[in-house]
Amino acid sequence: MTDRPALHIEDLRKEYGDVTALDGVSLTVPEGSFFGLLGPNGAGKTTFINTLVGLVRKSGGTARIFGHDVEDDYQEARNAVGLAPQEFNVDRFFPIREVLEHKAGYHGIPADEATRRADDALKQVGIYDKRDTRFDWLSGGMKRRFLLARALITDPDLLILDEPTAGVDVQLRHDLWELVTDLNDRGKTILLTTHYIEEAERLCDEVAILDSGRVRAVATPAELKDRGTDRIVVELRSPPATLPDLLTGDDRVEAVDLDGHQLTVTAREGGLVAPDLVRELDRADFEIVDLEITRTSLEEVFVEMTRTDSDDDESGGDTRTQRDAADAASGSDGDDSPPDRQVASDGGVL
Amino acid sequence: MSQGFVQFRTLVKREILRFVRRPYNTFLPPIVTNTLYFAVFGVILGGRIGEIAGVSYLQFVLPGLVVLGAISDSFENSSFSIFHGRWNEYIDAVTVSPMSDSNKVAAYVSASALRGVITALLIIGVGWIFTPVPASNPLYLVAFVIVITTLFGGLGVIGGLWASDFDYLTVMNQFILRPLVFFGAVFYSLDVLPAFWRTVSLFNPMVYMVNGVRYGMIGVTEIDPNASLAVLTTASVVVVSIDFLLFRRGYGLAD
Repeated sequence: MTDRPALHIEDLRKEYGDVTALDGVSLTVPEGSFFGLLGPNGAGKTTFINTLVGLVRKSGGTARIFGHDVEDDYQEARNAVGLAPQEFNVDRFFPIREVLEHKAGYHGIPADEATRRADDALKQVGIYDKRDTRFDWLSGGMKRRFLLARALITDPDLLILDEPTAGVDVQLRHDLWELVTDLNDRGKTILLTTHYIEEAERLCDEVAILDSGRVRAVATPAELKDRGTDRIVVELRSPPATLPDLLTGDDRVEAVDLDGHQLTVTAREGGLVAPDLVRELDRADFEIVDLEITRTSLEEVFVEMTRTDSDDDESGGDTRTQRDAADAASGSDGDDSPPDRQVASDGGVL
Repeated sequence: MSQGFVQFRTLVKREILRFVRRPYNTFLPPIVTNTLYFAVFGVILGGRIGEIAGVSYLQFVLPGLVVLGAISDSFENSSFSIFHGRWNEYIDAVTVSPMSDSNKVAAYVSASALRGVITALLIIGVGWIFTPVPASNPLYLVAFVIVITTLFGGLGVIGGLWASDFDYLTVMNQFILRPLVFFGAVFYSLDVLPAFWRTVSLFNPMVYMVNGVRYGMIGVTEIDPNASLAVLTTASVVVVSIDFLLFRRGYGLAD
């Protein structure tokens, strides 16, 4: 382990003419972490990854892999990376074992060692018996496994997986999860992009939400869920005639609604708000029949964060950013995450 | 063995295996085509033409056909390999590797030059069936064949990076390369041209290549072979330098 982060990105920009694909992305991925990059289609995830490996030339900013600039020290930077891309970009002229041997050779691994590693990598992903087959003849799942083998053959310190489980069946998805978790346990830093929120929630230590080329948030999945709103639904014995005055002054509470016997409180950190709610209802002599807390899912947080812009454009203001800015100023977020992972590209602290 | 050499050797090996394993696409066509050339121009028409520059017509056209085959195949090898890799995106494995740009260029160009040399040898072999093949100046012959295949391997790299469709490759090969070769004194001597067209022909780089190889084989040339070799070597250095700059900029390889 070194004291350098696996990835250190500052104000990374990429423009294609009038189109801005990356709009000042800043983030840090600690060495040894399992880092997720979430975002809707067109968010800039693949552009971001391709910038790291030399398939896209950045328009501005800096990107370092284990301290090596991706352009000035490209050889050192690329030597540290194994990439399993989204597309099936595999040499069709050769059987897959030879493709792996070539890949190893491009990284300076001698032929004998390359052959041994190719066999090991194919065994590791479970397609060794297909070693003399060309890529086009593999099934969809095998193709995904092969891309992972190709990324692993150079024994990279940073493994980048771009939608590795897209279009694969449940069994294979679980196999791949197990494999990459094991790799991460053995010290590899993993950068994962995915559409599957469950996958990020299950695998990642931290996730960044990317939208329209900007980082909306960087946090652990649990922290992100805490930022979403939970619902506390209370069933009362006797319906009150009017909405009782509850939880006033608690800035975690966003709404209180009454519908007959049912009182619904929408709040952040619902699990912490619920006891206060019960105490206040008890003091006001309301008898509680039932209480249920529905926690926000990471998927809901993701959807909320990635649709805010259009909603806010219509309403004329970015309430999320204002709230984040207020949190940043007051430190009321309660987030004790290291500063480097809280800095968002749009200047807000999330 | 240095890491850089292993990287270079791997890419060269990959490039060579690609054309060696597909002889029906790479080696058979020049054999068939040149057999037809020799049969028609040499045996059927050649008997009526008689000698040119003191040698049989077949011996006169042989160097030109060697040049035609060698440069076509060296150009096609690098242009197709790079373009096909871009088209199917598997060249990304090379692009994202830590291999230096100079190593990449050296590998693509040298593998393509090798294919051109092999094609040249195959054509000479076919020619041997029809007529004795002299080698009056073998060192010149070797030097010219190496330089022109390197030059066209390098031009093929530019073509492969520039092309955005398979049509581009056809355009380059059929509409630029081939006419230049056919008007490059392959099938005729510059002496038979009127003065104006002779002067115009001197602007065609193929004339220097054909004459250089002709000098190496039959010892006859209409242009100073040393000057030709110097110009072609300079052109090769310039083209390979352009290849390197294009790779460094990521032209055609990175967005």
